[in-house]
Amino acid sequence: MAPSALSAADVRSVLARAMESTAVLAPVRRGRSSFAFQWIADPAEAVFSYPRTILPPKQALLPPREDLFVFQRAPEPAVRPPAAPDPITLFGVHPCDLAAIGQLDWAMQERHGICDPNYAARRAHTTIIGLECLPDEYCFCPSVGTAHTRAGADLFLTPVGEEFVAEALTEKGEALLASAGEKRAPSAEARDTWEHWAEDKESRVSRRLKAQPKELPDLLEAEYESEVWEATAARCYSCGTCTSVCPTCFCFDVEDVVEVGLASGARRRQYDSCQFLEFASVAGGHNFRGERPDRVRHRWFRKFVHLNREYGDAFCVGCGRCTKFCTADIGLVEVLNSIVEASE
Amino acid sequence: MTQTRSRRAGPDPSGLYLPRTARVVRAENLTRQDRLIEIALPEGQALGHRPGQFVQVSLLGYGEAPISVSSGPQQTGSFELCVRRLGNVTTALHALQPGDPVGIRGPFGNGFPMDHLVGRDCLVVAGGIGLAPLRSVIHSILARRERYGRLIVLHGARREEDILFRDEIAEWQQDPRNEVLLTVDEPTPGWKGRVGVITTLFPEIEVDPANLVVVAMVGPPVMYRFVILELRGLGIKNDQMFMSLERRMKCGVGKCGHCQIDGRCVCVDGPVFSGTEIMAMHEAI
Ligand SMILES: Cc1cc2nc3c(=O)[nH]c(=O)nc-3n(C[C@H](O)[C@H](O)[C@H](O)COP(=O)(O)OP(=O)(O)OC[C@H]3O[C@@H](n4cnc5c(N)ncnc54)[C@H](O)[C@@H]3O)c2cc1C
Ligand code: SF4
Ligand code: SF4
Ligand code: FES
Repeated sequence: MAPSALSAADVRSVLARAMESTAVLAPVRRGRSSFAFQWIADPAEAVFSYPRTILPPKQALLPPREDLFVFQRAPEPAVRPPAAPDPITLFGVHPCDLAAIGQLDWAMQERHGICDPNYAARRAHTTIIGLECLPDEYCFCPSVGTAHTRAGADLFLTPVGEEFVAEALTEKGEALLASAGEKRAPSAEARDTWEHWAEDKESRVSRRLKAQPKELPDLLEAEYESEVWEATAARCYSCGTCTSVCPTCFCFDVEDVVEVGLASGARRRQYDSCQFLEFASVAGGHNFRGERPDRVRHRWFRKFVHLNREYGDAFCVGCGRCTKFCTADIGLVEVLNSIVEASE
Repeated sequence: MTQTRSRRAGPDPSGLYLPRTARVVRAENLTRQDRLIEIALPEGQALGHRPGQFVQVSLLGYGEAPISVSSGPQQTGSFELCVRRLGNVTTALHALQPGDPVGIRGPFGNGFPMDHLVGRDCLVVAGGIGLAPLRSVIHSILARRERYGRLIVLHGARREEDILFRDEIAEWQQDPRNEVLLTVDEPTPGWKGRVGVITTLFPEIEVDPANLVVVAMVGPPVMYRFVILELRGLGIKNDQMFMSLERRMKCGVGKCGHCQIDGRCVCVDGPVFSGTEIMAMHEAI
């Protein structure tokens, strides 16, 4: 489908259309330079340009806390799946976060041939409007091949000057685009910027992984005993920030919560972190990753060795969140590169 | 490892986390900390498990715990769990009485390779509560005794009173093809068996390593290392050993990430791994 041009006002009318039938999650300004994905009540709340949110749009598909099911204990025990989720639209999703949704789809719906019903119910009623971006010093999307992701988006917007070049990638996207009125072809100038966006984007990225994602499993395994894990662990606080902001992390804990009166409640899952001390401990006292270097290594191995092999690509989209928000300033790419260098 | 990117999701997944409401048929204390609970699924449903598989057992309001099925697959209409009281959920499970509801998901996991045992001798190495899943293997062998060779069971417990299934053990010993050796860590007056950890039993057995399959579950990782060393000493190869490993589990279906050992999910790829697989993993034991 040929790209078309949208003004900012057109984009807001697309949003207004989406809001007629779905809840809309969009990047919203929170502070002078901080942005967060929030459920908006007015298209004017959404911003069209932002560096990176702390929490990824994953929160709409795999919420930090959700009921797997609700139950009643008395008079007779009974369990009931949660209410069907409302349809949602995710607006302003950067290419790395689009790629992350693709990875989550695999992890939650396809891995081991087992489909997570709660995730799938949300995902089935999700519309995605992607938004092109320019990288900052934390981004390394080209190193993991996610810089130009379109897959997953129904409609994709590239901001050029005051306007947007819009690509409808699905029928849902077509319908949204149609809500902005008569189609307009982008100006020759806009088209030119749009066509050169990819090159320009790549050229701005300074953080680079010194190996191909496919080479990492063997490289890292050869450095299983590397001092890098100890050295990184010596700085790490096991705070779990890195995993909680990551758009591809999906580990969770499950617990029962009971309402006052004890008659009803819910089995609830919430994000968990492999960096927490108790993550791999079992009743009776044994902890399979009781030492911090073991937990630190596990994070890199899970993303770049094990899931990399199983999925066929690094389980990281280069968004830079874990590095930017790390309490101890630990750089994900720096750690990988020191491993690569050690093996050279 | 296989690329599973294009693999399709399974059949209707809506029940993945929803337990079936089963009923306790019988419950009795085996030791001061272990309770045998017999459970029947609703409407006479069969569990359809393989020895070594586990179920996620839950009590609404308390939570869920992975527990191995302790009865053999030949027992239909109900199945048995042997639960050691250790924390929240297991303590609540100990309070269950006949007629009480209990939530069941599963069976999950791979189980022991029973086909591999046919025509061979079987050495069962069970430390403590490890006898719970291995009893399912034993029941399976006893149900079709003629298909298998010798059955040698090694079981270690802390004290004499902690030995599991004592009445059954006496029955197993009636058959000359079966042998059971017991050891305790702390002997009490009158104890006539061996004293020490489970590896102290190895010098007492004679096996034909060429025709033997070992099934084991023994407790903390260090015990697995000792057991593997002893088995090697008997001339038994890694690919003849099958060990059930324990990890923290939250989902049982390969999603929550808790049970990972290297690249394997214990809940889906395990809990039973061959000695060869175990030796190839960094984090297994
Ligand atoms: C495959 C498998 C088979 C098992 N079979 C048996 C059996 O046949 N009989 C038996 O008595 N025990 C068995 N266990 C161990 C049993 O699951 C734990 O003792 C139990 O989960 C402890 O829960 P709790 O709430 O009583 O303890 P708590 O200490 O209160 O547990 C705290 C939390 O940690 C989690 N947790 C603690 N230990 C474990 C663990 N080992 N595995 C998973 N989650 C854990 C619990 O889910 C709980 O949320 C098995 C474990 C696994 C992995
Ligand atoms: S955010 Fe940084 S300090 Fe915190 S657990 Fe992750 S690596 Fe360690
Ligand atoms: S590991 Fe770090 S850079 Fe990679 S996707 Fe997760 S948060 Fe982003
Ligand atoms: S128990 Fe959740 S992944 Fe295995």
